Formats: sequence, structure tokens, C-alpha cells
Amino acid sequence: MDAIAANRSQLAAALARVAAGDRAALRIVYQDTSAKLFGVCLRILNDRSEAEDVLQDVYVTVWRKAGSFDPARASPITWLVAIARNRAIDRLRSSAASRRSEPIESAEDVRDDAPAALDLVVAAEQQERLKTCLGELEERHSTVIRSAFLDGVTYEQLAQRMDVPLGTMKSWIRRGLMKLRTCLER
Amino acid sequence: MSETDHSDATEGGDPIVAGEYVLGVLDASERSAVAQRIEREPAFANEVAFWEERLGGFADEVKPVTPPDAAWSRIEAAIAAPAARPAFALGNLWQNLFFWRIVGIGASGLATACLAALAYLGTVAAPERTPLLATLGQQGGQPGFVAAIGSGGSLVIVPASLLTANQKSMELWLIPTGAQARPRSLGLIAPSQPVRITVPPNLVPFVTPEASLAVSLEEPGGSRTGAPSNDIIAVGKLTNL
Repeated sequence: MDAIAANRSQLAAALARVAAGDRAALRIVYQDTSAKLFGVCLRILNDRSEAEDVLQDVYVTVWRKAGSFDPARASPITWLVAIARNRAIDRLRSSAASRRSEPIESAEDVRDDAPAALDLVVAAEQQERLKTCLGELEERHSTVIRSAFLDGVTYEQLAQRMDVPLGTMKSWIRRGLMKLRTCLER
Repeated sequence: MSETDHSDATEGGDPIVAGEYVLGVLDASERSAVAQRIEREPAFANEVAFWEERLGGFADEVKPVTPPDAAWSRIEAAIAAPAARPAFALGNLWQNLFFWRIVGIGASGLATACLAALAYLGTVAAPERTPLLATLGQQGGQPGFVAAIGSGGSLVIVPASLLTANQKSMELWLIPTGAQARPRSLGLIAPSQPVRITVPPNLVPFVTPEASLAVSLEEPGGSRTGAPSNDIIAVGKLTNL
């Protein structure tokens, strides 16, 4: 826990220096976070060279926008992950739609892609809270929400994957989100 | 509510739209509409931040993958000149710092740099009208840079002597003639590398003979005020060839 808290404040301090135009600080941020963010981009894009492009874009964005990082509102790593996911998803949407031709996963396959808990990027209590709240959802709702976040897929693709109508998928996710929000706010 | 409820996008209101955006389930046009709202509506931006922070825990499941070493170099290069890309990326000669040091020596070097800039313009731009040239002199009169601008706004600026920025950024400015004489930034340049810049279309009309180019030293990342610092290291007038 202490290590995570220390890590978090170090990263926040480095981001503040980046905002002041300190290149060496960007290097520190890169060293500490690039493997995680590259993993995030790869997972969404499923293509190494695209993921590399997006990664570059991500850190250039960090360089320019570090000043808008607000430690009171976000932890440094979730802020960075959000930038990486947004860039990767935008890239995915802009490339030929549904270019990815993976086999459609069944609900079971999605679930088998087991949470590995490889490293803690977010404070443990927050992690715990998310897990608890997900546990309160219908299983299929939490499954698709997790899958959407990790893979950056659209409603349509999710509906195909799970072999349900689009309207059903929207309804699952929205109900899941509503319930999740109430729980996460507690 | 039935399972196949085809509800519209606003069901659940902003918190849910924000959640959908963060999850990434929206298509391209919906995403860009939401992205615009984030810029405009602070309350909505807070909703998005809520989800980003709370759902961020999912990322713990993603296996870290070390990016290739070249990735950092690319980032470093990109932030060195955010508004400009190094020119001549494909030419070994152009990338060779040693070559540029030789170019920097004396008047014959300057001539070489001019020719180089022109040759470069010639390779990228279709026959343009006569390009404008500027030699940007340093204090003491020594040439610091040579620049050439084609009529379409493609500009190349070449260091003509050894210059150091000492942790500062070098920024290039266009100083129009006459009443419009407020300096306009053309972006950051590199002290030891030729740089190609496309002059923004709104500034192209100001690229005229007698307008000037200037290079200033700025805090890293470039001027934040939109105007050059007092530390102008080189300046020169554009002239017809």
C-alpha cells in the first residue's frame, strides 16, 4: 500500500514537472508507465505497429496536456490509462470499421480471459470497491462491461460477440452502468 | 423494461452517456459528439472523470508489454519540435550533424546551405513561383540560419552555424510587414537539424518580400504567450532569389 501511495505521488510530481516543460520528467513518466499503456493499446488495437503509433501519440499528448491533470480528481495512472484508451479507441474507430476478424467470443470465452491482477495500478481499496460493485450486478452485465472496457469494442460488436440483439446489449450495459454508479458512489 | 428495449441514447441521462463513452461502446460519430461536450460542459466532464477513475481498476488486468526501444526516441523527436517535423528524414546526408557543421563554416558554407534549402524545396514542391530566401543573422552579423519558403508555404530552415539552445526551445517567427507586424509563431525548430515547416494557410499571405523571420529562445515547449521572448538570437528579411 505504502509503495503504491509513494508511486502515485511520485508519478503525480513527475506530471507536474512535465506540465512545466521538463523533458526528463516525461522520461520518468514514460519509464514508469509505458509498458502498462502499451499493453492497454495492444489489447484494444490488436496490432503492434498501430499500438506503437498510438503510444507515441499518447505521450505527446501527455507532454502537451500534463497541465490539465488534476490530482484531486484523478490518480495519475487512471488519467494516463484514460488517454491511452481514448487514443486507441479513436484509432480503432477511424480505421476500417470492424476490421478485426477475430472469432466471435462466447460469454464463457470472455470470462475465461481471467483477471490476472498482475500489478496494482490503482489504490487497492478502489479496486476492491469496483470488484464489490461488479459483484452486485447480473453476471452477464458485469461480463460485458468488463469486456467493453478492456477491448474497446462497440455496442454492435459486443452484441455480435454475445449473439444478442443490439437493443439487448444496450440495455444490459446501461442497466449495469446505472447500478454500478449507484454502488460506486456509496 | 424488456430485455430488447431499444431505448434511445439519453436513457439514464448524462451519467450513463459518460459511462458509455468511457467504456468505449460508442461509434465514431457518437464519440466525437461526446468529446465535444467534454470540452464545453464542465459538469459533463466531471461525469466522465468519475467513470475514468472508478473503472480504471479494470486496467490492472492488462498485461504490461514493454514497447520497443525506438518508441521513446520517436516521442522525444516529436516533442522536440511539436509544430514541425524534422526535414530530410530519409536523407543520410541531411541527418549527418557533421555535414551541417561543415556547412556552417564560412560563406561558402552559407552558400551551400542556401543551395541545400533550395534543392530541398525543389524536391518537395512542384515548380513553385520564385521562393523567398532569408539569411537569419546573429548578433555580430554571423549567419545563424538560412531559410527558404516556397509560394505554397513550404518552408525549410537550416542551421548555418553551431547553435546551442541550453535547455531552451528555439521558436521561429514570421514578422509581417506593415500594420500587421505582430510576430506570428511558425513553430519550434531544432538547433542542429534542418526542419521543414508548413506555414499555416492563414499566414501564407504574410509571406512577402521584406517580411522577416526571427528565431527566439523560449522556455521548453515554446512561447506560452503567443509572442516571442526578448531573447531573439537571429533575424533576417525575406528576399526574392
